[in-house]
Amino acid sequence: MSSSPTLASRLKGRSELGVVLLLGAAGALVIADAARIVTPYSQSDPVGPKTLPFIVGGLLLVCAVFLAVNVLRGGQGEAEGGEDVDLTHPADWKTVLPLVGAFVANILLIDWAGWVISGTVLFWGSVWALGGRNYIRDGLISVALSLLTFYGFYLGLGINLPAGLLEGIL
Amino acid sequence: MTIVVGYVPTPEGEAALTQAIAEARKSNTTLLVINSSKGDALVDNRYAQEPEIQSIEDRLATQGIQHVIKQPVRGHDAAAEVLDAAEEHNAELIVIGLRRRTPVGKLIMGSVSQRILLEADCPVLAVKAG
Amino acid sequence: MDVFSSLMDGFATALTPMNFMYAVIGVILGTAVGVLPGLGPAMTVALLLPVTYALEPTSAFIMFAGIYYGGMYGGSTTSILLNTPGESSSVVTAIEGNKMAKAGRAAQALATAAIGSFVAGTIGTALLAVCAPIVVDFAVSLGAPSYFAIMVLALLAVTAVLGSSRLRGFASLGLGLAIGLVGLDVVTGQARLTFGVPLLADGLDIVVVAVAIFAVGEALWVAAHLRRNPLQVIPVGRPWMGKQDWKRSWKPWLRGTAYGFPFGALPAGGAEIPTFLSYVTEKRLSKHPEEFGKGAIEGVAGPEAANNAAAAGTLTPMLALGLPTNATAAVMLAAFTQYGIQPGPQLFESEGPLVWALIASLFIGNLLLLLINLPLAPMWAKLLQIPRPYLYAGILFFATLGAYSVNLQAFDLVLLLTLGALGFMMRRFGLPVLPLILGVILGPRIEKQLRQTLQLSAGDPAGLFSEPIAVVIYIIVGIILLWPLLFKLVRRNRPAAVVPGNGSVASVPREAGGSVSHGSHRADSPTEADGDGVDQEAAGTAIRDSVTHDKQNKETP
Repeated sequence: MSSSPTLASRLKGRSELGVVLLLGAAGALVIADAARIVTPYSQSDPVGPKTLPFIVGGLLLVCAVFLAVNVLRGGQGEAEGGEDVDLTHPADWKTVLPLVGAFVANILLIDWAGWVISGTVLFWGSVWALGGRNYIRDGLISVALSLLTFYGFYLGLGINLPAGLLEGIL
Repeated sequence: MTIVVGYVPTPEGEAALTQAIAEARKSNTTLLVINSSKGDALVDNRYAQEPEIQSIEDRLATQGIQHVIKQPVRGHDAAAEVLDAAEEHNAELIVIGLRRRTPVGKLIMGSVSQRILLEADCPVLAVKAG
Repeated sequence: MDVFSSLMDGFATALTPMNFMYAVIGVILGTAVGVLPGLGPAMTVALLLPVTYALEPTSAFIMFAGIYYGGMYGGSTTSILLNTPGESSSVVTAIEGNKMAKAGRAAQALATAAIGSFVAGTIGTALLAVCAPIVVDFAVSLGAPSYFAIMVLALLAVTAVLGSSRLRGFASLGLGLAIGLVGLDVVTGQARLTFGVPLLADGLDIVVVAVAIFAVGEALWVAAHLRRNPLQVIPVGRPWMGKQDWKRSWKPWLRGTAYGFPFGALPAGGAEIPTFLSYVTEKRLSKHPEEFGKGAIEGVAGPEAANNAAAAGTLTPMLALGLPTNATAAVMLAAFTQYGIQPGPQLFESEGPLVWALIASLFIGNLLLLLINLPLAPMWAKLLQIPRPYLYAGILFFATLGAYSVNLQAFDLVLLLTLGALGFMMRRFGLPVLPLILGVILGPRIEKQLRQTLQLSAGDPAGLFSEPIAVVIYIIVGIILLWPLLFKLVRRNRPAAVVPGNGSVASVPREAGGSVSHGSHRADSPTEADGDGVDQEAAGTAIRDSVTHDKQNKETP
């Protein structure tokens, strides 16, 4: 009982332990998957398809353990900076989540409604999520981009993006 | 009572500032200089940097005008920032600079001065450059 | 003069109107993305991978090479005019370059960067043309064990040497290798990590992985941390240099080239170390040491040349051995596999005309960069005014398009988002992305090599050490892996040991970051705190905090 508050306080602000979990899970998954494979020993392939997965899974597990130790001792990964990145404020989920929403909308729409519609939704939605509020101009650019890429891919690269609902019109 | 001036580091902006200084001196009121940016591009040439602000500061100080300089970066466009400031400080006058715009440009980009002219609750003095 | 005649054939191919046009497109596009915040050459090449479906390989690679060189160039422009180095390799350029620009010498800084890049790029490409065939001759003489050892060295060196945390580097490498495992095993046809999903049987498409990590992950990451304080570009006319500037620039150009090329060609050399070495050397050799820190032209000329020579150097192991050592080279290698071209020592043999046309196009691209960019510098600066929403929405839009066009299935977009989230997480927690990409690309090849090697020795691991060169390479690998331990021992014996170059490089971006926030100093007191180093950084951060949340007021009584 007495150890639980210290554990809780140790876990606080250590979101990096999520990375440890991810690495551990990935490592376990890779090893479990490799253990499932049954192959007869073959003269022409003594290494077999299981060796590298075991090495990779082991590497991931070892990294997970070391990272856990590192993080609990106060180690911290250095967030990546950049020209346009301001690390002085915390992650702005109000921008990221709508952005992901626009992306998911595109995934759901693309096969049914076609690229021109889903691409417009994606671009317009992303611009909106990122703070664009010039609705008319944003809309015009979205439609123009989607149409241009649709025909560009068709004529230039020979790739038929789905026309979807607008089949026959485009 | 205050006078609000929308400042940008361009000839129109300079003209507006000069006019606003004259007005402030005439009525002996506080001058509120607004230079805002939406902050949505890495570079915004309409957002004045340190030396420019310093020189405005000096200019106003030597002329003995009571003043406040604000540089809000809150994702709002310039019209909203000027109107906000005017309302908040109960402005008696807004001074802005005008530049020539084509009708198409206005349609796509919108017009900051037009919005201020239409939506302000106090008199607006529009100045042209040169 | 076999090299010479092959190169001339290469020029003949690269100068056909079509290929020349792609060189121009690549150079312009590359400069643009180098200038634009948030975009880099690796991401751009990744986004352009769909063109591999329609373009001739030669044209595509000529364009990619133009993007690579152009990106370097564009990066230096922003670091000089804005002091926001986009890539770690242009951090050093920003130190003196931005000071020069602030002192009204932007035109000379841009000119020495451009001409220096041209000189270094040209010499570097010439060295590439000479060295690559020698490396190939050496490499084809190696057996499977040695080649396997070299691949391991390349992978581990990048993971262990670059980046700030080796542990996080290895974690990233592990994830990449795991992603590379997905799909049917090529030898036995066994499904690995497919979880019964038929769509995974062919493995994860490298286009999807590269686009997800470089484009989606980056766009989401930047979106979460958008900079709010606008900067102002230092206005600049057409770049030019006076006689004095030429006199002070030409030696640093050559010395920078000499530093850059070998480091670029090494498995974990990169461009950071040579640019920094060049800076230190120029500072020591300069006749005007007092100007350093205030805008010395040598401090721009040397590092810029080193940067571009390193870019050419990087292409040597990429073309001669099939081993990429930086992100852009890794994505270009992915493009080779898209065409079904096997990268490796056989490349010069099997795809000779393509490789020589690519090398020739590097000479052409360098010249084009100089001709196009000297007059266009003021125009590039205008690109920085593009509103961010369009920029990052555009990245997501084209990322989706690129990933979708691979197989025209929405499932790939689900993968794209998942791996994009992984890329976001890696940036958040300081896991470098390069080891992951290398793991995905090199993992399957390393496995193949390993199985071939041990096939010869009937599964006996001793077969890995059957060649002397392999043993030597494993010793190098051992030293790299044990280096921190050795370093600690040395340190313990000599407490006053010199700070390694690595540590000093790391401190440079902080300083640059501190001066970026310059514009917000006014929030506080009118005193100019223009000290160097960490103090200023701390002050800059504190002030930035107070500014981002609210507007700043200043009242005079």
